[in-house]
Amino acid sequence: MIKVPLTLNTSYIINQLPTPTAFIDTDYNIVHTSNKWKSIFSNNSENYKSKSLFKLFPHLSPKWKMVLENCFKGNAQPMGIHKTKNINEEELWFEWSNAPWYDSDENIVGAIIQLYDITDSINNEIELRKKDLQLQQQAEITKIGRWEYDLKDNKLTWCTTTKAIHEVPPHFKPNIENALFYYKEGHSRNAISMALFEAQDNGKAWSNLKLQIITANGNEKWVMASGKPVYNKGELVGLVGTFQDIHNQVEADIKSLDNEKLLRTLIDNLPVNVYIKDTESRKILVNKAECEFLGVDNPEDILGKSDFELYPKESAIKSREEDLRVMSTLKPVIGKETINIKLDGKETSFLSSKIPLLNNKGIAYGLVGISLDISKLKEKESELRNIINIASIQNKKLLNFAHIVSHNLRSHSANFSMLLNFLESEPDEEEKVRIIGMLSEASNNLLDTLDNLNDVISINTHTNIEKQKINLHDKVISVNQNLISYLFNNNATIKNNIPTNFNVKSVPSYLDNILTNFITNSVRYKDPNRKPIITLSAVKKNNYSILTIADNGLGIDLEKYGKKLFGMYKTFHEHKDAKGIGLYITKNQIDAMNGKVEVTSKVGEGTEFKIFFNDKD
Amino acid sequence: MTKISDITIIDDDAITVFGLRKLISRTVDCESIISYGNGLLAYDGIKKRLEQKERIPQIIFLDINMPIMDGWEFLEVFIKLPISDKIRINIVTSSIDPFDKKQWDFYKNKSHHLITFNQKPIDWDKIAEITKIV
Repeated sequence: MIKVPLTLNTSYIINQLPTPTAFIDTDYNIVHTSNKWKSIFSNNSENYKSKSLFKLFPHLSPKWKMVLENCFKGNAQPMGIHKTKNINEEELWFEWSNAPWYDSDENIVGAIIQLYDITDSINNEIELRKKDLQLQQQAEITKIGRWEYDLKDNKLTWCTTTKAIHEVPPHFKPNIENALFYYKEGHSRNAISMALFEAQDNGKAWSNLKLQIITANGNEKWVMASGKPVYNKGELVGLVGTFQDIHNQVEADIKSLDNEKLLRTLIDNLPVNVYIKDTESRKILVNKAECEFLGVDNPEDILGKSDFELYPKESAIKSREEDLRVMSTLKPVIGKETINIKLDGKETSFLSSKIPLLNNKGIAYGLVGISLDISKLKEKESELRNIINIASIQNKKLLNFAHIVSHNLRSHSANFSMLLNFLESEPDEEEKVRIIGMLSEASNNLLDTLDNLNDVISINTHTNIEKQKINLHDKVISVNQNLISYLFNNNATIKNNIPTNFNVKSVPSYLDNILTNFITNSVRYKDPNRKPIITLSAVKKNNYSILTIADNGLGIDLEKYGKKLFGMYKTFHEHKDAKGIGLYITKNQIDAMNGKVEVTSKVGEGTEFKIFFNDKD
Repeated sequence: MTKISDITIIDDDAITVFGLRKLISRTVDCESIISYGNGLLAYDGIKKRLEQKERIPQIIFLDINMPIMDGWEFLEVFIKLPISDKIRINIVTSSIDPFDKKQWDFYKNKSHHLITFNQKPIDWDKIAEITKIV
């Protein structure tokens, strides 16, 4: 082969080639370069000619020698990409191409090498690959997968994460139909179908749809699906979107929702009042029982309110002080008996506890209150105490009665024994007759005593006595009729000021006895200096019908005799008729009907008895 | 026979008073026996005698259950009377109430008089025992 020297003219043309171009001879020596080449690889001063290409680019693949050999044979082949540095030490990527260099006789004298700067596209590619990697990593971490749908080709692409969420193998090829099929039938599938339709027809994006899929392995999963239409020059070309596995979050959400519901159900159905207060003692949670107690249907009516808005000031101050103590000392109050007074004045007994609520620093941010309504229990307790009281009074009465009985019977029997003893040794006949007279007197006294005791016993043993509604006004009139001659003989006047329609509940025979006893008592202990006037009146008060019997008689020194007034065989006036049994029996009858009797008196002025008839049965 | 100037019986029961009088008059040589129907009458009577410097009883028979002023109420005021002599006070009762025994203990220790507690009936032996002068 003959080398044909290039004319200066040719060289001039080569210089102007727009791409970096080099002409090499068959020994790989650079013969010509374009100015562009020169500007990249050498200073103007440096002569490029006659230097081996492989010397200039020491990192060129030796394979390229083969390629160039082929080129020299007229068989040009692509070379490839090579990274090199320019004169400014910048890294550049070039795609190398070659063509046989023919001389004017069509003989191959070398090769023409042209370089295309592809640095930008290589860099882009690297950047892209990096982005891809990042995206993939991101997807793996966040479990957010991607998908694309190319409308033109009807091609759906899932990223590996999306595939993983669907639990399909990496080589799985999704299409729009089977993709929809993974959504759970019903709401999920309908929702996604609607979203796709809206995106395609109306250009609407969808985001954060919480839906359920059933994976290839048959597992149910919660996913978050988002997507939007993609346009090119105003024309819909496809859809892109993300696909996130949110199963754990949703499950956790559902679980915590369930837990909350469980807790709510629990506290709402506890038969105790439960509330939570913040540091300002404002209620921030209340249960149903607390709402009912405060008389509201909606918890909102109480929430945010403090005790000062719900209770009278005095109890609110107390409660607030206790709250502060619990929250500052962190010592709970457990099972304390309290009486709660509401704004309407209603009192409730509670067994209440206050437990401080601590944050993770151990500081109280509020307290839980639990109150058990023990009003009914308290009521029962007081009833029981009342019953015990009654029982103990009854017991005392019984003992007292036993002593009275024994005393009275003993005193008579002692008299008998004594008189009989006398009789035995009495020689005087006249005296004997006298003693026998006394014996019969003693016997009569004993019979009287027995009668009296029998009366008392019958009152106290007839516990299930039947009370009746009796008109008190009329009853007083009828008792007066029975006493008419007694009253007349004593010049006594009865003033019946009881309302004509006034009724009391009483055992009829007891009422007879009570009225007779008090009236005759008043007459018996009349002041000898004035005509006896007895005034009867009646009022209703607190479940009692109160009969007042006032007289202008002698009066009783209550300080001296008050305690004994209703005792058996106690008399305070020297009076031949005084036996000390009347008031005792009367008192027993009033007690037996769950009533009571009160007395006020002034010596020399008169006495006033108030008899309380219980209106309840 | 013991000789005693004055004896007082305080009891509202006529039969008991009769019996005691009979028992005393046969056992003791006594100048006068006075009886009262209740504590107040007795107190007033004794007080009056004291004021008029008359003789007061050396022995008192005292019932507990009486109207107007009972035996204990009588004792309460009697022991406050300015009597330096030691009077024998025989409580005569048919009561078996422990309260009365307690009251007896109380007054027994509160007074310089001799106070005895006697259950009815009183027989000849008993009357001889409790009419001894102290």
